[in-house]
Amino acid sequence: MSDGRALNRRDHLIGAGLCVAYVLLLVGTAPDLAMSRDESFYVYAAKSYATWVSQIFSDPTLAFERESIDRAWAYNWEHPAWMKLSFAWSWLAQKHLALFPNESLAFRFPGMLTAGLLLWLIYAWGASVMRRQGALFAALAFALMPRVFYHSHLACFDIPIAFFITLTAYTYWRALADSRWVPLVGLAFGLALATKHNSWLLPGIFLVHFLWIRRDEARAARIDRSSIAWLPSMLIVGPLVLIGTWPWLWHDTWSRLLRYASFHLRHVHYTYEYLGISYFEPPLPVSVPFVMTLFTVSLTVLALSLLGLYHRREALRAPWRLKLGDVAGRRTEVLWLGCMLAPMLAIALPTSPIFGGTKHWITAYPFLALFAGWGLVAIIERSELEAWAGLRWPSWAFAALCLLPGAAETAHSHPFGLSHYTPIAGGVPGAADLGMNRQFWGFTTGSLATWISSKLPEGGSVWICDTTNGAWAMMQRDGLIPSNVGVASSMGSADFVLVHHEAHFNEVDYQAWVAYGSVQPVFVLRYDGVPIISVYENPIDTNRD
Amino acid sequence: MAEAGRKLSLAAWVWVLIAGLAVFELVAHPLIRAATPSDESWEAASAFVRARYQPTDRIVAAPSWADPIVRSHLGDLLSLRMAAPSHLAGIDRVWELSIRGASTRDEPPALEEDFAGVRIRMWPVSTDDVLYDFVEDVEHAEVELVAGDGSKVCPWVSARPAPGGLGRGPMTPKERFVCDPRRPWLWVGATVMPDLELRPRRCIWQHPAGTEPVRVTFLDAPLGERLVIRGGIDYNGERRRNHGPVTLRVWIDDRLAGELVHHDGDGWSGIDIDTSDLALERAEVRFETTAQDPTARLFCWSASTLQGAGDE
Repeated sequence: MSDGRALNRRDHLIGAGLCVAYVLLLVGTAPDLAMSRDESFYVYAAKSYATWVSQIFSDPTLAFERESIDRAWAYNWEHPAWMKLSFAWSWLAQKHLALFPNESLAFRFPGMLTAGLLLWLIYAWGASVMRRQGALFAALAFALMPRVFYHSHLACFDIPIAFFITLTAYTYWRALADSRWVPLVGLAFGLALATKHNSWLLPGIFLVHFLWIRRDEARAARIDRSSIAWLPSMLIVGPLVLIGTWPWLWHDTWSRLLRYASFHLRHVHYTYEYLGISYFEPPLPVSVPFVMTLFTVSLTVLALSLLGLYHRREALRAPWRLKLGDVAGRRTEVLWLGCMLAPMLAIALPTSPIFGGTKHWITAYPFLALFAGWGLVAIIERSELEAWAGLRWPSWAFAALCLLPGAAETAHSHPFGLSHYTPIAGGVPGAADLGMNRQFWGFTTGSLATWISSKLPEGGSVWICDTTNGAWAMMQRDGLIPSNVGVASSMGSADFVLVHHEAHFNEVDYQAWVAYGSVQPVFVLRYDGVPIISVYENPIDTNRD
Repeated sequence: MAEAGRKLSLAAWVWVLIAGLAVFELVAHPLIRAATPSDESWEAASAFVRARYQPTDRIVAAPSWADPIVRSHLGDLLSLRMAAPSHLAGIDRVWELSIRGASTRDEPPALEEDFAGVRIRMWPVSTDDVLYDFVEDVEHAEVELVAGDGSKVCPWVSARPAPGGLGRGPMTPKERFVCDPRRPWLWVGATVMPDLELRPRRCIWQHPAGTEPVRVTFLDAPLGERLVIRGGIDYNGERRRNHGPVTLRVWIDDRLAGELVHHDGDGWSGIDIDTSDLALERAEVRFETTAQDPTARLFCWSASTLQGAGDE
């Protein structure tokens, strides 16, 4: 079965160019972003794992003893090891070779690399099935989603899992036409499993897709049917990669696997504000992933995605609507649609734990971008844009026009990526009016670093609210916060108290009022006029300025 | 041919629509940003209010998310009681600083000014006079933990306040009555609690200890026409709606004057006790909290004696 174009050197040069350019952009803009809560946990884990990696070289016998493994790997067993191991290797490289200008970048670089590789992959897959212009548009449309841009900076798993899920889907799609790709499906799936549990959805999506094309083949009375060899590859190689890259599973494998699965199946509920209500237990409204996508992705790109879906509606026809002898190929669009909708529907399920952040269905967005690429191709071809003018530049100009809103919004979203909302929501203040989540993870403290440093020239302490001690320590190591400005364990002992504005953090605001006997913040960090952090000054010590 | 022409026309329209969406986004984005009031606008508006402010004025922000900005400019004028009101008694005027056309009241204001995007409106309001606010005078109360036929006096102490943090409940004030150091939640004092709607409420923390009451007595409180009592449970406890009720009994000179039974989901609510027929200028007023199961009953209440017949 072959319904895709072979990629050539030029395609890969374009893909590599996208990858390198995006990684450079991320590296250049990373210093504006303080570490987030979750990053600080993964950094701690990576350092622990790095110690174990070093031990392999210094004392391999001891390193592989259960006690050594458990000591190093017991921390943050809630998530698989692959990316944290990458952070650990990167940090070791920094320690020995000083590759990066600061420590946080060493931890973040592997995640950035997956972001760059994901652009390459989106382009490559797109260019396999549509004209290059559409593929390039898809890659850039994805890169220029404000929340994607934010998450691409982080030493976290959300962009890496988007990459590995897309990679697994791509290898599966290739394997349907070329059996040489079959082992790669298992390997890619293994890396996805070893990155984050979002990957658990993949076999189900692929099975539905595969049954769809097998039904097509039956209707078309084809003798040579597509092989299901990808499934054993996934089911055998995948778990082997997961376990092989995660030493914590090398002992008590079954019980620890169950513990890991159980943690995510019975995940705690976060409090998440949506349309004026702070949800803290299921069900979260079904509309959340869809409305949040509408409010955070450029409307132009969304419209093009819908247009792309409409344009490719023939390829989405149900098998029973095919006529005998019709050739339906690999049903690429069915696969893309499954990969796009499944993560959103998983979050929308009334029984799903409350998460809320777009990062939880960010694996849908590469496919949303690919459909936008189809939409662009459709509009250029159907409107005969190039035929009218007899030139190609009008179509490129149109593509650029369609990318500009995303580019402008992404540029403006930095470094407040999680607070940003598109004009359809009324922008940042419009979203505040609607009662949408304003931020999480406490990373916006980085935007106060200069202010705090200027207010505490002789040192002092800050009560840091949603920011973790680890994130604060990283700001100190990166030189953003002086080393003599520490973290206060209580409001009463702090020089300043920070309050990150999220609805359910109001209680912290009120705590500060009582602690200091005043409701007046000395500074309010704002983004487009909307409060992000309030800072209260301890009235007991006023000898700071 | 006609079919081809129709398709071309439709595609062209879609092209125009998509280009229009892109232009809309490009134009809307800076327009939204440009509509954000500047610091100078906030400062000018705040200076206007500050020059006319009186102690019985209330200052509010519209929309409510702008409240931290308003407090950063005028917070020094706001007491905890005014910033976290239990009810609206004792207020003569309401000043509203609003942006984006938001409003907290429908009726026309007595005064309106605009400072480049920050609108000021003022309404005179008719409310009761507050004769006595129990919350602000709590340190002069007597607090006991009743046990069997006797009771244990809870001393007023200066102790370490709570560290603060998400899910840790209302801030423990530095000075408070401590009833049982082994049960750190068993204290009585003035704090600010987030109610079920996450709004701030200035109130007296009086966590019940069980079926035997925690008792707070004000020996010589001025009485007026009404005793207004409001209470609620901390947001984190009340929102789950999975615990039993808290009872607050109010005694005036040893006579049961009222009872507030607060169930999860009631939110910030209460009772008004008519004291006009008691013909008392001053009295001993006692507040007792009990609960069958005191687990997670972070109960906080406020009370005031009022005089007059305000509209609000």
